Amino acid sequence: MRIEISGLVKTYKGKGRALDGLDLLVPTGMFGLLGANGAGKTTLMRILAGLLRPTGGEVRIGGYDVTGRAGRQAVQRVLGYLPQDLGVYPDLSAREFLDYVGLLKGIDDRATRRRRVGELLEVVALTGDADRRLRGYSGGMRRRVGIAQALLADPRLLIVDEPTAGLDPEERIRFRTLLSQLAGERTVLLSTHIVDDVAQTCRELAVLAKGRLVFRGTVDDLTRRADRRVWSVVTAGPAPTGGTVVSALPVEGGLRYRVVASVPPAPDAEPLAPTLEDGYLALAQPGAAEDAMRP
Amino acid sequence: MTAAFVYEFRMQARKRSMWIANGVIVALLGLLTANLLTDALDEPSAKVAMTSGAFLVNLILPVVYGCFLADRLVRDDKLGVAPILDATPASTAGRLSGKYLGSCAAAAVPLAIIYFGFAVLYAATAGHPVALAWAAALFAVVILPAVLFVGAFALVVPLLIPAPLFRVLFVGYWFWGNSIHPTLMPTLSQSLISPIGPYPLQELFGYGGPGGDVVLAGPVDDATLNFLRPAATAATAWLSIGVLLAVAALVLSAAPALRARTTR
Repeated sequence: MRIEISGLVKTYKGKGRALDGLDLLVPTGMFGLLGANGAGKTTLMRILAGLLRPTGGEVRIGGYDVTGRAGRQAVQRVLGYLPQDLGVYPDLSAREFLDYVGLLKGIDDRATRRRRVGELLEVVALTGDADRRLRGYSGGMRRRVGIAQALLADPRLLIVDEPTAGLDPEERIRFRTLLSQLAGERTVLLSTHIVDDVAQTCRELAVLAKGRLVFRGTVDDLTRRADRRVWSVVTAGPAPTGGTVVSALPVEGGLRYRVVASVPPAPDAEPLAPTLEDGYLALAQPGAAEDAMRP
Repeated sequence: MTAAFVYEFRMQARKRSMWIANGVIVALLGLLTANLLTDALDEPSAKVAMTSGAFLVNLILPVVYGCFLADRLVRDDKLGVAPILDATPASTAGRLSGKYLGSCAAAAVPLAIIYFGFAVLYAATAGHPVALAWAAALFAVVILPAVLFVGAFALVVPLLIPAPLFRVLFVGYWFWGNSIHPTLMPTLSQSLISPIGPYPLQELFGYGGPGGDVVLAGPVDDATLNFLRPAATAATAWLSIGVLLAVAALVLSAAPALRARTTR
């Protein structure tokens, strides 16, 4: 299911533009969406899920115009959506909650619904707790319930907004793997600010900043944006300036800084091979975003 | 709609506080009106006994369920469940209707237990099993329209004002709009849109208050808002039920637009 977005604008009353003329094409398969908090990712996800109406522009998913009622409903029939601020009913058990969402998603046959709920509880490792009220679930467990509900109706389009927030490292890896396995013939749109999640699962991605598209390409393309811009500096003094410090690791004689900068931040700086995170940070440097969108 | 009905009913019925509050109110009511209850059990006419019971239930208990229903719609947004439900292909109107009917049905369960419990007690002690038939009729014609009327406001008004404020205003409204005599101040009591059901109680069941000589419905001399108090007849009694249900439907129909105002 291709997602075609053109000239998308969303303005909130009194808060300005969350999306500012966004053009983006999302092909079938796994696609990452990166951006800082407030970049407009969640607004975009909510528009795609049919929860928000755009102020202007066009959004077509699988040929359906989601700004209209009929198109929105058609898309929602094949949609699995995991919102960023996920909530559950504390008075229901995980099994009941999933059964409820299954009914709303149109899985009317009771036996099919029960089987599907059981399978997904197994997938998210909640079978043992399935009949406990959600009131007593931890944040991570609730997140897993959220993941299960998104997968209920075997969606052709999966929109997941910060899906790994609150998950422990093992759960995170398991969920990332699951998403990659699901991709295939589906479109999986993964919005996150955890760069590693995109690095491990997506071949293509887009980066938003202040409601605009600042990069669209492959993971390798974005990584290459930091070619000859990543440096290692060891110092006992103040942190290097003139770039973005990615990490600081204590070593003998001070701290080893990993810095993204267009010029060496110190005379003894050593060049390093870039990662996707470096490429993403390189985009934030003056002039980089404009360069990134240049053909 | 069925899904929302089933699960909303289940969630509301599981609310322990709802059962406790109803229990406490009924216990207090029982203590305060013990003599009325004894009189009702001694009442030779099953119809009069059941009508008195329905009047008492409708006078006091809506305060309890009105307050409990006040969070049912806004809580989906507060809990963060709304985005999940809104992203399903289920229609908004269907979900809203299911939620409304499910939560009203759950609110009606304690009322049914209390009221039919009284009816069974009366039928057993007075030896009048017909009391159960009168109770069923009164429950359908007097108590349920009140539940649906109050339920609609309790679900929708908290989309405009905070639920705690709604509860305070609702309790004030309830006693102002149903218990104050119309000659004391402008009030909706004894009118077509009084949810305690003065028109059906008086015209369909012949109820005239505890002494049997009180006029519950119809125009009141020297009262304002008499245009809402047409002459009490069987036709205006049915009209009153129709008006209550129509107002409830009207209020409910505003919910999607009011919700969109805050979520979009």
